[in-house]
Amino acid sequence: MKVELKNIHFSYGPVKALSGISLVLNEGATGLLGPNGAGKSTLLKIMLGFLTPDEGDGQVLGYDLRREQKFIRQRVGYMPEDDCYIPGMDGVSFTAYLGELSGMPRQEAMKRAHEVLFYVGLGESRYRLVETYSSGMRQRLKLAQALVHDPKLLFLDEPTANLDPAGRQDILELIGEIASSKDISVLLCSHLLDDIESICTDMVIINKGQIAASGRIEDLKMINYRLYELKIKGELPAFRLELEAAGCRLEETEDRLIKIYTPPDFDQMEIFRAAARNGVQIRQFARSQSRLEDLFARVVGVD
Amino acid sequence: MSSIREKGYHHWDGQFLDRPRAFWPITRTGIKLAFGRKHFKLGYTFSFLPAMIYAAIIYISERLEDFKFIAQGGDKLLQVNPNFFKSYLTLDLLYFAILILMSMGGAGLLADDFRHKAVQLYFARPLTKADYLLGKAGVVIFFVGTLTLVPAVLLYILKLLFAGSFAFFLEYPWLILSILAFSLFMILFFTAFILLASSLSNNRNYVISIIFGFYFFSEILRGIFSVIFRSPFSALFSMAANLKQVAAGFFLVKPPYDYPWYLSFLLISVFCFLSYLVVKHKVRGVEVIK
Repeated sequence: MKVELKNIHFSYGPVKALSGISLVLNEGATGLLGPNGAGKSTLLKIMLGFLTPDEGDGQVLGYDLRREQKFIRQRVGYMPEDDCYIPGMDGVSFTAYLGELSGMPRQEAMKRAHEVLFYVGLGESRYRLVETYSSGMRQRLKLAQALVHDPKLLFLDEPTANLDPAGRQDILELIGEIASSKDISVLLCSHLLDDIESICTDMVIINKGQIAASGRIEDLKMINYRLYELKIKGELPAFRLELEAAGCRLEETEDRLIKIYTPPDFDQMEIFRAAARNGVQIRQFARSQSRLEDLFARVVGVD
Repeated sequence: MSSIREKGYHHWDGQFLDRPRAFWPITRTGIKLAFGRKHFKLGYTFSFLPAMIYAAIIYISERLEDFKFIAQGGDKLLQVNPNFFKSYLTLDLLYFAILILMSMGGAGLLADDFRHKAVQLYFARPLTKADYLLGKAGVVIFFVGTLTLVPAVLLYILKLLFAGSFAFFLEYPWLILSILAFSLFMILFFTAFILLASSLSNNRNYVISIIFGFYFFSEILRGIFSVIFRSPFSALFSMAANLKQVAAGFFLVKPPYDYPWYLSFLLISVFCFLSYLVVKHKVRGVEVIK
């Protein structure tokens, strides 16, 4: 078990940011999702040991959240979302410097910096000043500095931001490999649901300071909803009202495709019965492949 | 750019150091980065010119007979006493050299970290705010110390060596303590001043303007108030005048302005304390993730 949080509460003055967050993160890659203001950042701050929770307790890599924050940061790697660097340093000095700040002996930090820069694909550019790097190279550099001290847990905040499709694919492959075969757990915070779906096996969705859903992505898709896609002839409003009263959620796309999210135990025949009662003709009906976007929309309650 | 994963990932099997001086890598890197800046080495070397002139004066003062042809009537100027050391540590040229050097190597200490959002990289490491600030302060301490404390102590040792006796030491037994105390006071002031200026903007050019603006503006203000009010207390507005006034107190010589030296001491101490509060407020570890 890499992270275990129990009933975490945190407020910024009168504003409640987290209310009773309890979660367990295991080996592998976990995606952290949530709309803006949901509490993701606060949760990451608490897990990195920057904020002390008002209530609740927990452990990261076996270290206490309240008392052993220094040890947590020594053993956790963090790749920030921002484009951040120290001007005037070359790639290898920069990476070694941050390794040394993590507590590595100077010479070992330098040796290790060379290794991780080769690993992330910056081997040839490691003696160039970091301010001359392209945004894709800086993204790799941030990954290198997060890996230099060989963390057991990696927090990645929007790791594919500012990358072209090829660069994004490379970074995702690399993160996937780290998470699957390098004995490093990854917590991936991203707005790109495709990134999370392609790397993570588990997922945590936060909404309004609470856990809205957590678990294996495949299981969550199955448990939380079923998705049907319909094309109809007739008046939608009454049909929509009846289905929504039965606990479903309807969306209409631009090409007049109706998406119906139903509770998992909902009988699909009810859709046909509702259509018949409201004089709606169903011209196309298919159970759709559920996607992470749909799960997110369903759980968080946004389109 | 080379393709990704040219070499495999290997785990590191070393041990983390339980570092009691976590600030040291930050100081060392700051010094190295300062020396890497254009013209810094040249400026740093030239900053030792006053110290070399003072060393020459000590030498000449001990060999007055040999240098009679150039030192005619200059006996007073060549007197090595507490005032001599005070005058070295309060030289306008020395202050200017420190400000030039710090505008090159110190202006970006915090400003560059703010601008390039590097603060979060530091605080994602097992560093405290004190480690970070001490590391940055160490850079200013190093440069100001090597231009004030180190030359002043060396000049003192040089005087003892050239004199070939302990007469000077016995005449002013407290002088070495004055040199140490005032140098440390100056180091503290310049450290607070440079870090404060560096924390006030994300742009190092603005920081440089703040550094020199403060220095010159405080002098101008002193001049204006001095003309209007004809009061010695006008010197309280000037950075250099305050340092000179404090130096007089530390070296037990007559203050250049007619008011108690401890007023300047108090003013600078309050300035340093307020600077610390501002810098501490500006550097916030919890802003790691926005």
